[in-house]
Amino acid sequence: MTIVFATAAAIGVLAAAGALPVLAAVGLRWVSVTLAPLAGALVAMLAATASLTFGGPLMSWFVALAAIGATTVFGLWVVRPDLGPRRGSSGRATGALHRVAGIVGFLSVVTACAWSLRGLRSPTVGFDARALWVMRPGWFLQSHAHLLVDLKARNLVLTQTAYPPLVSASAAVAWKITGIHSARLGVTTIALLNACALATAALAVIECGRGMAGRFSRAWVPMASGIVAAVLLVVVAAGVTEPFLTNGYADPLWSLAAVGAVAFGLQLADGPSTRAAAVVLILVAGTTKDEGFVTALALVALVAARSVGRAGLRGERKRWPVPVAIAVTELAVLLWWPTMMRVIGARGASSSFTTRTDLARRTTATVHGMSPYLHVLVVAVPLAVVGGLALSGVRRRGRIGNDLWAWAALAVGLCAVGAVLVASTSPIGPWILSTVHRITEFPILEAWWIVGFWAVVATAGLAGSLGGTVVDPEGEPVEAPVEVPVEAAVGARG
Amino acid sequence: MAVGSTPGTNRRQSVQTVLVTVVCALVAATALVSLVGQAVRGNRTVDAQLASRSVHDASVDNEFYSCIDVQARSLVAPGQSAALGGDNLADVITMIKGFGAWVAVADPVSRADVVLTLRQGPGAPGTCLGTQVVGTYRTHDGRTTVRLGTGAQVTGHGPPPAPPL
Repeated sequence: MTIVFATAAAIGVLAAAGALPVLAAVGLRWVSVTLAPLAGALVAMLAATASLTFGGPLMSWFVALAAIGATTVFGLWVVRPDLGPRRGSSGRATGALHRVAGIVGFLSVVTACAWSLRGLRSPTVGFDARALWVMRPGWFLQSHAHLLVDLKARNLVLTQTAYPPLVSASAAVAWKITGIHSARLGVTTIALLNACALATAALAVIECGRGMAGRFSRAWVPMASGIVAAVLLVVVAAGVTEPFLTNGYADPLWSLAAVGAVAFGLQLADGPSTRAAAVVLILVAGTTKDEGFVTALALVALVAARSVGRAGLRGERKRWPVPVAIAVTELAVLLWWPTMMRVIGARGASSSFTTRTDLARRTTATVHGMSPYLHVLVVAVPLAVVGGLALSGVRRRGRIGNDLWAWAALAVGLCAVGAVLVASTSPIGPWILSTVHRITEFPILEAWWIVGFWAVVATAGLAGSLGGTVVDPEGEPVEAPVEVPVEAAVGARG
Repeated sequence: MAVGSTPGTNRRQSVQTVLVTVVCALVAATALVSLVGQAVRGNRTVDAQLASRSVHDASVDNEFYSCIDVQARSLVAPGQSAALGGDNLADVITMIKGFGAWVAVADPVSRADVVLTLRQGPGAPGTCLGTQVVGTYRTHDGRTTVRLGTGAQVTGHGPPPAPPL
């Protein structure tokens, strides 16, 4: 079996395991195609954690959890046919142009992702990938007793083996079903999961354009700009994350998943489908790497806060139960692996932080180390300020979330990584030199996604203000001819 | 003109509409031009991964660790536990990278059937870029046996080119 075929088989199995839960939660949408393998990777992660907690082979847990998920979904659809995968589509603009934009957008993003994976033609296996990410799959396929020894034995030195298991568990599933236990297969499987996360985050921008199309004149303009921005963002993201996108590192996966979670959970119009997509992506980010875990905790709080909203804070109690229940479930999943690491006394389960070191010097070194990688902020910040001041009405009319949500997520991600660097006891200089280009991927990508969203919002506003017919959310003309209402476009509340 | 509006109000709305149009155009142009510029840079970054030097280094790296893996398998029989010995942290990391995925690690080390170490030397036949895996076995009567890993070799002198961190 060739690596190409083995990788396709592995992603196919992961997608099969995640497809039904994603269809049930997100619905029949293009983004479900790219979310399914990521949901399957979550099933693999849960299987690895359950195998560590209760014993039993990883593959048995994987099959059992996938079967439970599929059975539950089928049962739900039998009992409540109204909750089937086609639910909720009636409220969206569903004209022919809208559908064509969906197909063209999806194919464009997939093509751009495939093009961006050409780095796989080099047989590179990254240093950390070989030492950790595509080494641990072998541990997950050993017996429970050996797995415990592998994670606990002090003479194995590596403390990073306590990192969350999603990447290694997915590679373990790939190894088991293909019989090929090679680092290369691990790398290619992780690269395709990266591509799925990247495509998902890019599809959010296309969704932004398609969503705005129903609310502005010249519907093709925001849809076209959404597709163009999404394709450009894919190529930008590939440049930001290479060589790690295709050499087996976990940083691109958590960063891209977190960007997608922000896009669906905090930037697009709030709704059950986008919230479900955000949940999958938050869990992927939080169970891939420690930095992703911290960021995911913040995203859980931010998405829940947005769902509760001002109405919930003003006493509308019915807005609380669902977001809180989702947040609690997310936290339970996110905390399971780290809790187990502490319970079994794994190497690296307890990090060493201190406030006794020279915090000022470490802070300066961290800021100076990160700054050269954050030049995107020179574009993103002024753009967001101008957009926020002048185009908030256009944004609200398009039902796009307040930009401050995305900036809050970016700030939290940046501060979380920065705080770890400052408060840790490891020598700061070598640490920053060897990791800063990877650990800043999330804030860099998030800033570019903010730029991409503003591109779509601005073109939609431009199309509306240059005249034509403004349509209501259901896609019907309401007033013609008219321009974008100025009182809604200028100085509106966010 | 809408019912009830005044010429002044109408003019103000027109000015604001023009302003919004200009801002929309500026924001859209800035965002899209920035994205195009960064996409061109990103494309070059990906292309750099395919440079012949990068591909060659990656191939040598793969051959080195494959060689280490095969030599370790020649020293550890199925069912045997092993300890990764030696005082050199870099050697331990190299062994973890080479065969950490499958070797059954002994804990404590004293229970190991075989202690694996690396021996560095000049590039020679039977070595992986000059590195050879060494297995040390302790028999029941307390004697020690040392065996060298076999089954693979990579000519040349190491270490392999370091992949990006």
